[in-house]
Parts: sequence; structure tokens; C-alpha cells
Amino acid sequence: MLKMFIESFKNLISKPQTLKYPFEPSPEPKNYRGTIFYNEELCIFCDKCENICPPGAIKFEVIDIENGKKQYNYNPYLCIYCGACVDACPKSDEGCLSQSDKRTPALGREVVKNKKLGYFINKIDNPRDFEKEWEKLEKRAKLSREKLAEHKKQQRLKKKEQIKKSN
Amino acid sequence: MGKITIPFGSQHVALPEPVSFLFDTQNEIISDVHVNLGYVHRGIEKAAITKFDYTNLAFLLTRVCGLCSITHASGYIHGLEYLLNAEISKRAEYLRMLVIELDRMHSHLLANGHVAEVVGYENLFMQTFRYREKVMEILERLTGNRVQFDYYTIGGVRRDIDLEDAKEIKKELLELKPKLEKLTEFFETDYTFGLKTKNIGKITKEMALEYGVVGPIARASGVKTDARAEYEYLPYNEIGYKLQTRKDGDVLARNLVRQDEILNSLEMCLNILDNLPEGEIKVKTKGRPKGEVFVRVEAPRGECFYYLKGNGSKIFERVRIRVPTYANLPILKDLFIGEKYSDAQAIVLSFDPCMSCTAR
Ligand code: SF4
Ligand code: SF4
Repeated sequence: MLKMFIESFKNLISKPQTLKYPFEPSPEPKNYRGTIFYNEELCIFCDKCENICPPGAIKFEVIDIENGKKQYNYNPYLCIYCGACVDACPKSDEGCLSQSDKRTPALGREVVKNKKLGYFINKIDNPRDFEKEWEKLEKRAKLSREKLAEHKKQQRLKKKEQIKKSN
Repeated sequence: MGKITIPFGSQHVALPEPVSFLFDTQNEIISDVHVNLGYVHRGIEKAAITKFDYTNLAFLLTRVCGLCSITHASGYIHGLEYLLNAEISKRAEYLRMLVIELDRMHSHLLANGHVAEVVGYENLFMQTFRYREKVMEILERLTGNRVQFDYYTIGGVRRDIDLEDAKEIKKELLELKPKLEKLTEFFETDYTFGLKTKNIGKITKEMALEYGVVGPIARASGVKTDARAEYEYLPYNEIGYKLQTRKDGDVLARNLVRQDEILNSLEMCLNILDNLPEGEIKVKTKGRPKGEVFVRVEAPRGECFYYLKGNGSKIFERVRIRVPTYANLPILKDLFIGEKYSDAQAIVLSFDPCMSCTAR
């Protein structure tokens, strides 16, 4: 009991162990698993990141059915920062997908905009709409995939017919 | 005096977990208990067989629990690697053990701190949590996150440790060692702490065997059970693992077993850092899981059981998890009857219950 008493007394005069956050910064440690950044120029649109992502925080939306052009959308507030997408990306060595060591700022009055965060978040102005818009996007993305699949099927059929005709 | 029913939980200042007990008391002595579980059921086992491929299932199972997230990943991935016939490199195995043991340390420190808090010893509680924070900082440096480590991957580990980090971590662990030894002494010799914990909630060896309790609770009653010693899922015998038991089986003994294990884990971590083998941290695996496997791994709270059944497709046919707290709950009811209501909190917390695991 006496020993603990001495220890308590020492604690009384020693420095506090805690940080006075938010008045004092609380820096991320080295190698922190933070926000995912994307570089469109390097992407080969293989969809590996979308397929591995456990909560479905990455969605590619097909915006041009004719030539299969896709857009990368990322929801940093759904992301669990596991880093699986970076591991899966074949171009991650060049920096197509990378995990920064900074936290995503909380979704407060403003939405953080950054080109590296993909198309979705840069289109949103009011943070209150965030969830609704993401739901809409998920539906749109799914629909666009189905349309693309249908389009490809039609084209294959057409080709077959052409081959038949020419024969 | 008549019977008075007192609710304890599902939300209570002394309870870190959502579980509800209804105590029937007579003159402060508990005469009957009704337990309600399942407040945090999230349907994880169902999601595991419908929504997740075997490649990213570990990320879901890691999130079964915050305190032993690495255990769930290890249970699943050891099973999967058995089904895929994967050969893991020595370095990866050592790194896995390092994170598992650090995780055990922080989980045990949390449990012991909570017991100190509910018996009214705030000072000791703060002291314990102060040291726990250090362990969590080490884990964050190693894995990139404080709670959800996501360190395991199929065929190895996700991150390597560099020389500078290894040196720094070793330094911090060596600094921590005398402090933790002192903490053990406080728990063991403190008079006021002993008043509320000695001979409270006593489990005899026979009782422990009859109810099939696992983990530190069984070891505190002198039952020699530990999945780390019984199964060679990781090379624990190479790094100085020792089975820790105590005889008394009361709240204090449970705390002390955990405290002994913390010191043993720390010793093992130092051994790992000194003798880290060279080599790859990850090997490539082939094929898809087919067949059945049972896995038993030692979580901080006891033995965790995994059953996996794959049929050669991407998604498992069945994933079953039996967590240690589930095995430790039945005895609680017997233990309460005849004890004072004021001791009930210490008894519950000395079991270190994890309801998120139990309800899944
Ligand atoms: S870090 Fe994980 S959750 Fe986040 S986008 Fe990548 S795979 Fe998805
Ligand atoms: S995995 Fe990489 S290359 Fe493939 S679609 Fe995703 S970001 Fe692009």
C-alpha cells in the first residue's frame, strides 16, 4: 500500500501522460494507415481494387457505354483503411493507388476536396447529402455495369451474325 | 427482509460490455441471477458465407472483436492455410507471434485495469492504463492501426519490421518491463486491493473442469490448459513460452495469472526481436479452399475455436466461431449465488467478458 502511495505521489508531480487534443496536435505515427489516394493517369481499370474492398468503398461507374470509360469513386467515410486495395492493385508500385499516412478529416460543415480522392467526393457540396448521394451512386454504378454487360453481349451477337453472313 | 431485484447492465458504469444481469437479492446476498445476452449481434457468420470471398474474409472476421482482433484473423487464416497447403516462412511466423503477444499484453492490461476500477482503486486503474497505452503505441507503429491490426494475410504478414523500428520497440519494451513487474507487485501485495478480491468468486479446480472454462480463468484455478502449449500452430516453444497457473481461483488469482502472462509475453516479444529469422514475409498460395478444418488458437481470453468448410468455390460454405467468453459464461451463474451484490462487478470483470465476440 505504501509503495502504491509513493507511486501516486510521484504521478502528482510528473508530467501528464495525455495530450490536450484538440488544443494540441495529435500527430499520426510513422506508417499510419490513412486515406487512400488515386492517380487516374496510371490506372488500367482492372477493377481489382473494387472487387477486394471489404465494405465496398470503391465503386467504378461506367460513364460511356460505347467505349467502356469508367470513373473512380471513393467514399473515405465508408473505408476501413485496411489497405487491401493497395495490395491488390497491379500498378500500386508506380503510385496508382497509395495509402497516405494522414487521417481523413471528419465530415464536418465542409467536404474535403482533393483530386486524388476520386470523382464522387468532389461533386458534393453539402455534407448532409453525402450518404444519400453515395446510395444513389451505388445504384447507378450497378446499373451501368449491367448496361455495359448487355452492350458487350449484343456486340458479340452482332459479330457472330456478321461472320455467319459473310460465310 | 423481502426479495429485491437489481438490474446490472445492459448499460452500466462498471460494465464495458453490453450484457444484462438481473440479480435477485436478499440482504445484499444474491439468491438468483437471470442473464441476457446478444445485444450486439451483427450477423457476422452469415455475412461470412454470403458476402465475402475467402480473400477478404479476414478483414471481416478481424472486426468481430476489438481487443482480440488478431486472434480472429489467426484462427481463420491458419485454417485457410491448412486447406490451401501453404508453407509459411519462419520470419512471418515470428512476426505473427510478436503481434499476437503484444495484443495479449494490452488486452490483459485492460482487463486488470477494469478490475482495479470496479473495486474502487482508481489509482491502480490509471497506472495500468498508462502502461497499456505504451503497448498500443508499439502495436500502432508495427501495424499502422491501434485496434484493427489487419496484420495477417494469406501466406504471411502484411508488413515487415525494419531495423530501426525493431530497435525502438525493443527499447520501449525494456523500459516497460520493470514497470510491469512493479504493477504485478502492486496487484499481489496491495492490502486494499486484496480486501475486495481475495476469496471472492472462487472457482475450484473441479468446478473449472466440470464447466469447461478456458483461458486465464481456468489457469487461475490450476487447470493446465492453453492452446499455445497444446497445439503447434505457431512455434511457441522456440521463444520461451511458459504456461502460467495459480491455485486460488479467486478474483485476485485471475488477475495475477493475467499479470504473469503479460510478463511472459513481454519476455517472448524480446526473444522474437532478438532472434528474428531472415526471409520472405509472404508466400504465394494457390487454389481455392476445399474441405473442412477445425482450428484452436489461444485468444487473450482463452481458447478460440474456428470451423471452416469450403467447397472449392470463392465463398465458404460454413464459418463457425466459438469464442472463449461463450465457454466461460455458464459458470458465472453458479458463482454469483451466495456472493454479495457489491462483489458482483468485480466477479464479472475478472472474467474479462467480451460480448462482441460472444454475440458476433
Ligand atoms: S483501404 Fe480497404 S476499405 Fe478502404 S478502399 Fe481500400 S480496400 Fe476498401
Ligand atoms: S486495382 Fe489499381 S489499376 Fe486496377 S482499377 Fe484499381 S486503381 Fe486501377
